Order: sequence, then C-alpha cells, then structure tokens
Amino acid sequence: MRLLNILTFIYLLLTLGALLLGGIFIYWKLESEIDFEVGMELNEQIDAIAERVRQGVDPKALENEKMEILPIPLAWEEEELSIRDTLAFHAPVNRLQNQLKASKSLKINGNHYRFSYFNTVIEAEDITETVLYIMGLVLLAQLLAIGFFYRRIANRILLPFHHTLAKIQTFTFQKDQPLSFEPSKIQEFELLNRFLEKMSLKLLKDYRQIKEFSENISHEIQTPAAVVRGKLEHLMNQEITEEQAHLIHSAYQSNEKIQRIIKSLSLLAKLENEEFEAPVPLRLDELTQKNLDFLQELIQLREIRLEIDLKSGLTVPMHPYIAEVMITNLLSNAIKHNHQKGWMMVILRDQQLEIINSGHPLSKNTEDLLERFQKESSHPDSVGLGLAIVQQICKTYGFRFSYSTRDEVHHVVVNFG
Amino acid sequence: MKILLVEDNPELTQNIVEYLEQQGLRCEAVTSRFEAEDRLLAYAYDCLLLDLMLPDGNGLQLLEWLKSNAIPLPVLIISAKNALDDRLRGLDLGADDYLPKPFHLAELLARLRAIYRRAKLGGKDELVFGEILIRIQSLEVFVHQTLLDLTKKEFDLLVFLLVNKNKVLSKQSIANHLWGDYTDNLANFDFVYQHIKNLRKKITAAGGKDYLSTVYGLGYKFDEYAQ
Repeated sequence: MRLLNILTFIYLLLTLGALLLGGIFIYWKLESEIDFEVGMELNEQIDAIAERVRQGVDPKALENEKMEILPIPLAWEEEELSIRDTLAFHAPVNRLQNQLKASKSLKINGNHYRFSYFNTVIEAEDITETVLYIMGLVLLAQLLAIGFFYRRIANRILLPFHHTLAKIQTFTFQKDQPLSFEPSKIQEFELLNRFLEKMSLKLLKDYRQIKEFSENISHEIQTPAAVVRGKLEHLMNQEITEEQAHLIHSAYQSNEKIQRIIKSLSLLAKLENEEFEAPVPLRLDELTQKNLDFLQELIQLREIRLEIDLKSGLTVPMHPYIAEVMITNLLSNAIKHNHQKGWMMVILRDQQLEIINSGHPLSKNTEDLLERFQKESSHPDSVGLGLAIVQQICKTYGFRFSYSTRDEVHHVVVNFG
Repeated sequence: MKILLVEDNPELTQNIVEYLEQQGLRCEAVTSRFEAEDRLLAYAYDCLLLDLMLPDGNGLQLLEWLKSNAIPLPVLIISAKNALDDRLRGLDLGADDYLPKPFHLAELLARLRAIYRRAKLGGKDELVFGEILIRIQSLEVFVHQTLLDLTKKEFDLLVFLLVNKNKVLSKQSIANHLWGDYTDNLANFDFVYQHIKNLRKKITAAGGKDYLSTVYGLGYKFDEYAQ
C-alpha cells in the first residue's frame, strides 16, 4: 500500500470518527435545545391563557384542541411546569402524533386549574435527517479537500522521499558510485539521505574489500597449491617404493581437493558479489546437449539409462561461464549420486529444466544439502559445494530452484520464468 | 625448442624448468617484466610462458610491448587470475593460449607443444615414436603402418602420454587434459582407466609394444623402455 494512500485512509477514518461524534453531540444538543425552547414557549402560552382567566374569561371558552383547562381541588398544591412527551390526536393530519405536553396548575380567583398545552414536536427523525444532511455536506467538503489539496500537498511533501527511493533502486555495486541526494528542507528526510549516503559509501568500501579478498585468497592459495602439485609430480617420477607411492597419492589427492574447494569458494564469492554482469542470451537446449555429450562417457561407464527431452528452445540471459557451471553441476550430480545401472531424465520444457534421477535415498533433508559443505558422505572426494553453487546462481539470476526426493528418486527443478 | 619463462614465484619456476628440461626443452627463467624485455631483445625464443602478476607490472603490458616491437612469438599465459576478463584480454592481445594456475606440468608441456606445432609447423607435423606414427592434423595413428580406429579422446590421450613420455601422469592430470573443468565435479577417475585400457588394447592388437603402464595407483606412464 502506498504511503500516501495510508495517510489518506487514516485521515478519512479520523474525519469520519469526528463527524460521527460531532453528529451525536449536535443531535443531542439540538434536541434538548428545541425541547427547552418549546417548553418556554408553552409556558408563556399557559401564562397568557391564565391571565385571561384571571381577567374573568370562562375557562371553558378558552379551551381548544391545543389547550386543556381542568379544574382541580383547591386543596392541592400548585403544580410546577412539567413537560412530557405524549401521544395525542392531531386534527390537521387526523392521526395520533407525538406531541409535547406542558402542564402546570395555577390558583386563580379562588379556583384551582390545571392548564395543559399540547404542541406537536419536531420529530427525532427530522432532527436525525437534518444532522445527517449537514454532516454529509461536511464530509463531502472534506473529501473534496482531501482529493484536491491534501493529497497534492502530501505528495509534494513526500516527493524527496520518492526521489530517495528511486535513487536507492538504481544503486548497484558495479557502478561503484555512492548515493548522493539533493538537500531536503524536511529534517527527517535530510537525516535519511545523509544516512543513506554514508551507508552506501561504507557498502562500496566493504564490497571492494571482499572482492579483493576473494581475488587474493584464490591467488595466494592457488600458487602454493600449484607448487605442491608440481613437487609431488616430480616426486612421482623418482625411484619410489609402493609405500611411498601411497603417501604421495594421498598428499596429491588432498592437495587437489584444496584446489577444488578454493576454486568453488571463490566462484561462490564472485557470484555473491555479483561480479558476473553482462549476460548474453543462451539457448539452454544446446548448452544442455553439449554438456551431456561431454559427460556421455561417464553416463556409459555407470551404465545409466538416459532419457532426454530438450525440445523447448528456451533462451535465458546468463553469463556463459556461469550457465555452464550450473548445468555441469546439476548433470554431474545426477550421474555421481546415481546407482550403477540407474536412470536419469533431463527435461527442458516451458520455462524450466528438470533433472530426475535414481539414487540412494537421502539421510539428510534436501534443505540441508543446499548448505555449503553438506553432502551425502559416500564420496570422500566430493567437496559438497556443487548444489550450494547452483543455488547461489539461481539466487543471483532470480531463478527458482527446488530439490526434492522421494525414496530413490531425486528431482531437481530450475524454473527460469 | 627454447622457452622463456616469466614467473616471479621461485618454487613454481623451479618446478617448470625442471620438468621441461627433463623433456628435452630448453627453458630460461626471468622474474620480472624488465628482465623479460631485456632477454627478448637479445635472444630468439620459440615460445613465451608468461605469468600475469609480475612485481613490476601486469604481464598484459609485456604482451602489448611484444606487439609494438613486432616480435612474433607464441605466448602461453599462465595465471592464477582466472578472471575471465584477463583471459579474454590476453587472447585479444595475441596470446595463443591461457592456462589457469594451478596447472599440471604435463598439461603445460602438452599446451606448449601444441602451440609450437601450430606456430612453427602449421599443425602439419607428425609425432613418431618407434612403430607409432601420429598425424596430429588428420587425427590419425598408425602402428606398423596399420591405421588404428581411435576415438577423439583416445587420440588426445595418446598424444598427451607421448608428449610427456616416461613421466608418471596422475589420473587427475589426464582427466583434466581430456575433460577440462568437467572433472571438477567428479568423484573418481575410473573412466581414465577405461580409456587407458582401450588404448592399450588397440595398440597391442596392431602389433605395437605395450608402452602404457600403471604406477602404483598414482597414474599412468608411456614407458619408452617397456618390454
């Protein structure tokens, strides 16, 4: 939800609440004010009639449908003015109507009369209607104000914020440009911008350091590892006993493993640092077929039954090297962790690449296997970075990667959509 | 074949020089760009082995220097900077091949030989060893004048073994030579054994000597002195 919409919504909600409370208050106030005024008016009417009785006019002659004069015993106390709602027959409209009845008794010329004066009241519905009508008008005015002024003003106030957002979105490490913002007159935005500027500088610095580190570590370890390999290869060519050969073999294997780990880790670091820009459109069917051709001997050696369906001419923008790494890792995993005389299916359809293969049931769950250095331990020479690399590649390019197993069937899906 | 090696790591230099000289190549080593330029002006070489990270500058600058001085020399770049950019720039600047560190010495020799063949012999050379004759360009192998029916991989394997004859080649280096980066993900190298076995069978079937031997599970060797 947009910030402006939230603000508008809250403003509207508050306005409605205020109007509701105001309406109730106005209704209540209006009603009591009317009752009071009507009461006063009736009182004056009664007083005027009483005056005429005092002057000697026959009370009977003064009675009409609005005025009732009832003689009551003289001994009774004089009654104060009382006003009550009552139902009474109203001649003009010829029906019972809610009426206001004001009555008080007065002792005049030795007689005691109770004067009751009826008057139609303004009905509650009428008041409600009026109040609602007024409140409706006010609400309409508010809405117009919100629509024309409030949103416009709020938008203008939020404008620097939107600028900031747009700038952050264009920030990439590849450009190597720290964020910089126009000064803002609003203190909070100014604070935010300065903070973001500082943060982007720090991010770029850290990024450069990590990048250098990953480049250096690969170089610094590869060189001695290369030296070790060379020395061992020389040693292999000396006159050696079988026992020495085993020692050399172990050392050689371990050194090879170090090199593979370093290579994989530096690839992962580069992927995380998004160092592989400039993707080119790649035909996945061709790439997969090429990789399968390369791995064909391994498939034959393990006597794996291969089914392929690469009819989809799906093109994906990727760095060619990375695409190759991804496909090789997936395919060689399916071969490596397969049974002798197992089967595998490679399907490229719609927007996704599916690799399904037979293999040993997993002892770990699939989520764990995507972590670095996690592996089904049967292969001592396997580093356990293959799937982590594939996952990182998918993350970098925004592909969806899933890996599931059911008993002896392993199912990998990369969705490029 | 005379090689100039420009590499600042003394251990690596020693490894390379020793290996190449054992295989009958002459290899001179320098440690900086400056020294390299000095040598290149004074002597003629058949190939330049160039590390990119040098104490006095980037090896790519030396490539530019070669170009501007019109010295025609095949160049093989060896670098730990496996950055793709460097690789492409190196090849753009006229390098003939790029071998990322760490490499197998046998692989280095095979690449050097291949560059040399391409540059000096136009690829039309023949490798002859005893009863074996290899025509590199047409991918043909003859044993006692009988043409062998070899797969591309078996052919590459034979050339690789023969170029590095009498040396123990580890299974990894063979796998790496034949399958490149694909071997990174592989847990075992049994398939190397399969190829060796097939190759051996085909050579002996044509009446050739069984030159291929296994060395204590370490690797394989093309043994000149095999009985």
